[in-house]
Amino acid sequence: MSKFGLGTLLRRSLIHRKARSLSALIAMTVSAGVATALLTLYADLDAKLHHEFRSFGANVVVTGSADLDAAQKAAGADANVAQFAYAVATTDRGTPVVVVGVDFPAVRKLDSWWQVAQWPAEAEDVLLGERAAQFVGDEKQVTLTFAGKPHTFTGVGHVKTGGDEDSRIYTSVYTLHSWTNVSPSVLEIQIPGGAASVDSAIARLKAALPGADVEPVRQLVEGESAIVDKTHTLMFGAVILIALTVACSVLATLSASVLERRRDFALMKALGSSQGQMIVLFLAETMLLAVGGVVTGYVVGSVAAWVISEVNFNTASLPRIEVLPIVLALNVGIATMAALLPARVLRGLEPARLLKGE
Amino acid sequence: MAEVVTRLESGTYKVTRDECAVIALDGVSREYVGRAGIVRALDSATFSIVAGEWVAITGPSGSGKSTLVNMLGCLDRPTCGTLKIDGVDVAAMSAKELDRFRADKIGFIFQQFHLIPYLTALENVMLAQYFHSMTDEAEARAALAKVGLGERVSHLPSELSGGEQQRVCIARALINNPPILLADEPTGNLDQANQLIVADLLKGLHAAGHTIVMVTHDPEMAALAQRKIALSHGKVFCSPVTNVVRLR
Repeated sequence: MSKFGLGTLLRRSLIHRKARSLSALIAMTVSAGVATALLTLYADLDAKLHHEFRSFGANVVVTGSADLDAAQKAAGADANVAQFAYAVATTDRGTPVVVVGVDFPAVRKLDSWWQVAQWPAEAEDVLLGERAAQFVGDEKQVTLTFAGKPHTFTGVGHVKTGGDEDSRIYTSVYTLHSWTNVSPSVLEIQIPGGAASVDSAIARLKAALPGADVEPVRQLVEGESAIVDKTHTLMFGAVILIALTVACSVLATLSASVLERRRDFALMKALGSSQGQMIVLFLAETMLLAVGGVVTGYVVGSVAAWVISEVNFNTASLPRIEVLPIVLALNVGIATMAALLPARVLRGLEPARLLKGE
Repeated sequence: MAEVVTRLESGTYKVTRDECAVIALDGVSREYVGRAGIVRALDSATFSIVAGEWVAITGPSGSGKSTLVNMLGCLDRPTCGTLKIDGVDVAAMSAKELDRFRADKIGFIFQQFHLIPYLTALENVMLAQYFHSMTDEAEARAALAKVGLGERVSHLPSELSGGEQQRVCIARALINNPPILLADEPTGNLDQANQLIVADLLKGLHAAGHTIVMVTHDPEMAALAQRKIALSHGKVFCSPVTNVVRLR
């Protein structure tokens, strides 16, 4: 029983034309690799960008109510909520300064972008804004007076944000309350997700906190939404552009492959091969390269996505198996498109002339 | 075998032996549309070739030999006229039917051998089986042994001499047992020694009853044929049937 058939023809042909086969395989691998990397990143993009945006601070501000539990429940368990209480005191140099009472662990999570040398750990510790530090006589022993009641705090470090925070002094909300009797009046909330998530959380907050003024931080919510949309478009465009570039490269390789083997195909035709058999042979060869490209490209692309994600977002993007069918369809599509023109060349072959050497 | 040779007004001959013709042309023309207008590469060719006959087609370059060979090899179809091969009018066939018909009826022997470079001698022969029906390695080995290449079956074309490559080509042409062997300058690329080997092989095939249509420039090869069909400016001039006595 002979084993000669399409498989032998394909194998021998691909091995015989190593350089050409390799260049087509590399092109298909690049296509699959880039598509895998971009689609893997694309799939993780929302989560990663929203995660990044969470470090920019609150995207919703609630005034007129400071019911922390109700706000946390309405905003969702994964929202960061922090209370803020405000009082105006006088420093030992006689300079009025805004003293803010906060829950430091909550603020540290909410405003992770603040530049803080050392976060307060004790109840009497204070964080001095970069400019506010200039208003006190001793940064280690900070004496402030509110309504005639002096209180001495321990300064543990500076906070620098480039904003209003630089002119304030931050202490524990409980310490501020026991000193000034001022309660929290503002809630700053970081809602995870895009604009839709924020809008629905605002609706829930309004319902849960009647009488409170619930406002989104427009620049952040809309900016985040715009950046996410633009990044999606950018990545989608990149996939299309790369796919087209690779398609051109594969087209050139396949066209050259057919042109240099015109006589082989002409001979096959003279031996009785039908048009269909020749096109099947050529397409099988192309599809083999496309699938080979997907296998290697998926591995390479997944590693690339992992590295890119690790470098840019500090979290790994794990390989996504659901990307594989899309990459396969893309590569097969590219290979089919690229094979159409050479297949037309096959149809127009004139065996007699070619075999005569004309 | 009765044969009618008619001298036409144009000065050409019409040879008719339709009752046992394996190839029969009647007023076959082939026109191409070129830059200068319509070019008639083959002009009203009318002749027939009987089964078992060895015919040499001769003529200078541009005389229409290739066009005629394309027709006889079912690689092209006439613009007008009737071309019957083995009793079937090929002009009426679709491209797909013609592919099938070609695989069944024609064995090609090329001047430049045209072996697939990445297939062994055996696989090159089996390739013709593959496109015809199904492969049979034992049969392919036997075909190569018949042309004296029983020990060279695993060699690639690049490892074979020109003469050996031509013998692989002949084995490939014979493997599907076609009624017609179409040899286009079969010795054109061979040295004297290999020309003799190939000529002997063709003689043997003819003696075994194969119909051979051979295009050649070589007078010595042409002399081996029973009959010459000369072409000039697309017109066919059949030789007087000097060798007709050799027809079986």
